[in-house]
Amino acid sequence: MKMQRISTYLTSTLTVLLMSFSVGAQNDSIANDSIRYAQKYGLRLGGDVSKLVRSFVDDDYTGFEINGDYRLSKNLYIAGELGTEEKTTDYDYVNSTTQGSYFKGGIDYNLYQNWFGMENMIYSGFRAGFGTFNQTLNSYTIFDTNGQPWGNQTTVSDGTKQSGLTAIWGELILGVKAETLNNLYVGFNIQLKGRITETEPDNFENLYIPGFGRTYDSGNFSVSFGYNISYLIPLFKKDK
Amino acid sequence: MLIIFACEKDDICSEATATTPQLVVRFYDALILEDTKTVPSLFVYGINDASETVFFNNITISTTDSIAIPLRTDNNITKLVFHKDLVEISDLLVGNPDTVDINYAREDVYVSRACGYKTIYTGLGATLTVDADNWITNITIENNTLENENAAHINISH
Repeated sequence: MKMQRISTYLTSTLTVLLMSFSVGAQNDSIANDSIRYAQKYGLRLGGDVSKLVRSFVDDDYTGFEINGDYRLSKNLYIAGELGTEEKTTDYDYVNSTTQGSYFKGGIDYNLYQNWFGMENMIYSGFRAGFGTFNQTLNSYTIFDTNGQPWGNQTTVSDGTKQSGLTAIWGELILGVKAETLNNLYVGFNIQLKGRITETEPDNFENLYIPGFGRTYDSGNFSVSFGYNISYLIPLFKKDK
Repeated sequence: MLIIFACEKDDICSEATATTPQLVVRFYDALILEDTKTVPSLFVYGINDASETVFFNNITISTTDSIAIPLRTDNNITKLVFHKDLVEISDLLVGNPDTVDINYAREDVYVSRACGYKTIYTGLGATLTVDADNWITNITIENNTLENENAAHINISH
């Protein structure tokens, strides 16, 4: 009877000891496994592929954009785009060519919690955009349905070029950037734009604004898409 | 790859949009200048550069005291015939035609991307071609700028 009590005591003591040991062992293993993955920080530079492709495919369009971002913290990037566009807009009654360049600057915020060792982005951001351009009125037709018996509606080859036009707009961006090869990223984004101010040409309007896209009669909004390929120049590594 | 927004309302010129205005002519009594006076069986048509008659879609023979006539958008003179008492007898137009030259300066004003431009006319003038039997006694310019069709631009008394 007494022996049995002692053995019970020993067993329970051992169990407690073992348990505490195993807990201790667990703590140790965490300490040993925590090899922190140092994340890459640097300057990522790239270009918009869709604008290049469209330049080859579309006779009425020539465009080029370089873009870049610089990582400030775990999820925050400072980002910008610099580009040039030339676009001929053709409506039934108006044909015009817009040519100019633009700059956009702002921040991107990574919303994606990456798996261990990965550095992809699902991001949201905003930009302030500024465009400077000229617009040539190639030709126009006088809208005069009643006067048609006089002959065809009068079309005037005008050719007036108005320079020094500017526009300022804001953008909301939603996009993804995936690292496909080491330091090489492929991305897609959608840009929602709202025009804040613009200088209008005399006796005409801006049908297209480089960087902003086509304009609408119905409002100051526009939507664009971007397909980017970019390369990260790693400058340093940080735990967070 | 690129979403194309086809056939939006931006691309169609609404009929409600004020485009190139027509010349509004009112007819007055030559004896009582304040009173409008209808012209019996009036028909208005144009004469083009090749001296051919040009008929307008919206003008038919009618007895009226006012009429809206489209002017040329490609020339600073529009030659019009105001044909009174028009009757067609075996393919011949009989009655009393009076020829009036409307002269002006043109200015093309931007309307919208869908409607293009409209022409407005300034410095309106009118010259009656004197013939053996003019039914028109006098033409006065009421408003020498033709920007809309809200009021008469030219008064013709007879």
